[in-house]
Amino acid sequence: MPAPTSRPAAEDAVLVDRLRSDETGNAMRALYRLYGGELYGFALNALGDRGAAEEIVQEVFLRAWRHAGRYDPERAAVRTWLYQITRHAIIDARRRAAVRPGLALHEPEGEAPGGASLEQAMLGWQVAAALERLTPEHRQMIRMAQFRGLSMREIAEHTGLPLGTVKSRTWYALRSLRLVLEEMGVVPT
Amino acid sequence: MREELGGYVLGALEPDEREAVSAHLGTCHECAAEYARLAGLPTLLRHADGLEIPAAPPAVDERVLDRVAKERGQRPRRGRAGMLALLARPWRWRPGLGRRRATIAAAVAGAALGAGVTAVVLGGDDGGRPAGRYALRLTGAAGASARAQLEPGRGGTEVHLWVKGLPPGAEAVYEVRCERPGWSASAGTFRADARGRAYVVLTTAARIGEYERIRVVRRSDPRDADVMSAEIQ
Repeated sequence: MPAPTSRPAAEDAVLVDRLRSDETGNAMRALYRLYGGELYGFALNALGDRGAAEEIVQEVFLRAWRHAGRYDPERAAVRTWLYQITRHAIIDARRRAAVRPGLALHEPEGEAPGGASLEQAMLGWQVAAALERLTPEHRQMIRMAQFRGLSMREIAEHTGLPLGTVKSRTWYALRSLRLVLEEMGVVPT
Repeated sequence: MREELGGYVLGALEPDEREAVSAHLGTCHECAAEYARLAGLPTLLRHADGLEIPAAPPAVDERVLDRVAKERGQRPRRGRAGMLALLARPWRWRPGLGRRRATIAAAVAGAALGAGVTAVVLGGDDGGRPAGRYALRLTGAAGASARAQLEPGRGGTEVHLWVKGLPPGAEAVYEVRCERPGWSASAGTFRADARGRAYVVLTTAARIGEYERIRVVRRSDPRDADVMSAEIQ
């Protein structure tokens, strides 16, 4: 069974630990390379504006640098910590936009600022990030069955793979996903 | 039977297969435990439906580092302190020039470089110290232009840059450099908006007086492309 791409959470915690003392900027660049994309996706989805989302991401990494000394790896994974910072930055941006109507940002209907759907979106992006860490074969099985609603038999027909392969691959894919989510701290171990 | 669990959890089995798995789960403790571990995944996956992780926007990390340098009290990063300590020759300060002379000098430089240049001392004294604020006009060959304001900071220069006329909507990353012959220090990077404009505040560890030219280049492989520049006269 091919293992999902794994990166010990402790490595990310070391990056955060180095943020304040590192004058080369490399710890910041590494952290941005790891999380910039998904946090940008989260912010873009929540605000509906590329420029605003980019500013949020900039703000998030700046706040991360400012508060790096207070980060406690025992309490939360780096990803969880960064998502929480992003969530707060999004709420702040929406508040600012609310008092300056000219800057009104997209806000899905029926959503209270910082309400449940922002939490759900945060969860969604972390699950999307977990999917990215699976092998392409595993990801394909989950996408076809879950997002496109295809049955195991239909996937076999579509891909030309034997039905038994599709079934076992789907099972391994879900097991891998569960492990990655545990590692990310999204679900309890 | 256990390998059927994936399709079962995702609701992707045929009705007869599904019934067989259901019956099996009632009797096999091991498979029931495995099913319990995976059963919550479809709910989580529904939140991720349609979400594709985008590429991280370029140069945001560099902008963060610029802000960090500023908050740190403009302490240099990326070894710039070392570079500055190794300056080969002392900077030659030319006492403040009037607008007219600066413009003439700029016109000469512009003819050679394809770029018009104007620099005006805004403040500070004219006693030969490179302490004042500067306003510069940068123009490039392709219609891009910029207004720059240089302000001395504790550990370098704060560069305010208003740019227009860049190719719109491009993903290009531009870098601002403080230069003198044989030496260059980056002031950071920026991108233009959909209308080819940008306003950025960048911080460089290079001090006013340690460089003679501000240059904007478009970052690209293998060689950066010159966009515009202005000489501090």
